[in-house]
Amino acid sequence: MIPVPIPSGLTPSGTGLPATAAGIETLRRDARRARATCIQMAHDARHGHLKSALSCIDVLVALYGGFLNITPDTLCLPGRDRFLFSKGHAVTALYAVYALYGYLRPAELDDYCRTGGRLPDHPCRHALPLLEMSSGSLGYGLGIGTGMMYGMMLAGKPGRVVALLSDGECNEGSVWEAAMFAAAHGQNRLLAIIDYNGLQAVGRSAELMAPTEIAEKFQGFGWNARTIDGNDLEQVVETLAAVPFAPDRPSVLVARTRSGAGVSFMEDDLAWHYRAPSAEDLAKALAELGVAPLHREQP
Amino acid sequence: MRRAFSEALIQLGRSDPRVIFLTGDLGYQVFDAFREEFPTRYLNVGVAEAQLVNCAAGLALEGWRPLIYSIASFLTGRAFEQIRLALGYHRLPVVVVGAGGGYSYAQSGVTHHAQEDLALMSLIPGLTVTCPGGPDEISALLPQLVRQDGPSYLRIGRFGEPPVPSSAPITVGRGRRVRSGERVAFLTTGSVVIPVTRAADGLAAEGRAVTVCHFHTLRPFDEALLAEVAAHAETLIVVEDHGLRGGLRDTVTRWLVTAPPHLAPNRLRMIGVGPGDTVILGNPTPDEVMRRCGITAEALTETGRSAWTARPG
Repeated sequence: MIPVPIPSGLTPSGTGLPATAAGIETLRRDARRARATCIQMAHDARHGHLKSALSCIDVLVALYGGFLNITPDTLCLPGRDRFLFSKGHAVTALYAVYALYGYLRPAELDDYCRTGGRLPDHPCRHALPLLEMSSGSLGYGLGIGTGMMYGMMLAGKPGRVVALLSDGECNEGSVWEAAMFAAAHGQNRLLAIIDYNGLQAVGRSAELMAPTEIAEKFQGFGWNARTIDGNDLEQVVETLAAVPFAPDRPSVLVARTRSGAGVSFMEDDLAWHYRAPSAEDLAKALAELGVAPLHREQP
Repeated sequence: MRRAFSEALIQLGRSDPRVIFLTGDLGYQVFDAFREEFPTRYLNVGVAEAQLVNCAAGLALEGWRPLIYSIASFLTGRAFEQIRLALGYHRLPVVVVGAGGGYSYAQSGVTHHAQEDLALMSLIPGLTVTCPGGPDEISALLPQLVRQDGPSYLRIGRFGEPPVPSSAPITVGRGRRVRSGERVAFLTTGSVVIPVTRAADGLAAEGRAVTVCHFHTLRPFDEALLAEVAAHAETLIVVEDHGLRGGLRDTVTRWLVTAPPHLAPNRLRMIGVGPGDTVILGNPTPDEVMRRCGITAEALTETGRSAWTARPG
């Protein structure tokens, strides 16, 4: 083992996953708030991959609302959990969740897509250093995550690596190169979450990949997999609490989600990959969610 | 050069605990000693170039100093986007090592010809591109590249090349004067400096002392040395084991047409010597490829001689 000094007592702790129904209910409210925020951002910037952002909100809320052992004040600690947002196009979801849990000031969300701002259309670590990586081109988060994990293990650092990927991203060969590596090295502190919303940019995942379960594909590569309803926070929390799924293997959580989840007229509609909501769409969506965006007083 | 690389790597492993070596399942027996001494810092990721680069990026984000190794044509071509984004965009200190640069694997076929590696790597902003001429330059450059804060590319050739016959210091970003003369200046990158120097010595024996300047770093390019050479030359003969585009010939051409006239006077002529813009079929040996492009001591002597006698227009 390489003698890389680690300051003692620096394993941060987040709030932990909620164990009660009330706790889950709080996360559900957080998720609605984050959804409203995303839609407001997409409306204001006239841009956003809303269907991809809305589908992964519940997973992000469970991660930042309890699973990850980080807080806004402990982002530099060597023992922190590393979160890699590999599906960079869905970044409004991440920015909204950052604002929800104190990593960004809500007012900063108006910076989304602004030239020179901290919140570009795809997340950039140079603009926003709290990100563990920049993303935009698909197929990077898992490979980078395996390298981080190897480096952490070698240095004796605690902490886990969590990468959030889209289902379309799993078309990329580099995902499977990384999956092979992680299993070969028994990276049991690595968790991949696949936001399986079923829709890609212009096609359906089931038609573009062989009609086998994505969980089985990962299992074939030596991972332990669980498939859940990724928009049911109770299932998400319960399954995250069981990570790692096996003591000697990497874990993959296949979160079956609905693209555009949470807003009835956006669900399972390919058009919302690129479409920006009109003022009317925004009002309708916010009324349906029943909450205001984080950076607006009223819906 | 490969031996010099593996020895320099062991030295680095000893002196810098952040150094970690990743291979894309290549380098049979070349890294056994490193692996034995640093078993956890030797990592074979398999025949997976994208993973090789991404994994190194993750390690670099965690504070390690990775060196990644594969065949030049595979690594720079297939994993170009990973090098561009995971290393270039993120500005991570990873040394990308391409073995068998140029046509050193000529007989293995077109798949193994690396005539675009320097061009591809030069396209990425902030990436240092080096193409050493011999084992001495590998030993000297490698520690400098590992200490850099950004990404770099190191092209290495085969086994058994001689050292570069120059006493000039070996510093990233600085060219080296190998022979000093007048009228004609040979400019080189990579191991072609050896036949070029042989040709220059032959010309000197005829009373035609020419200049040889060697550029082991293509980016950042030592324009100051080029300007110094251009001030005392009528003809530049640029020699490289790389395709026509994006290597040393292109670098010098661009300088010639963009440098201010007092640095690159119109009287200057440039002759390019190297592989053309073509796919080389037919299984030639590396020596045969060099012979066909005019990179032998004899052919270069003749090129130098006619440049010496030709009066500038």
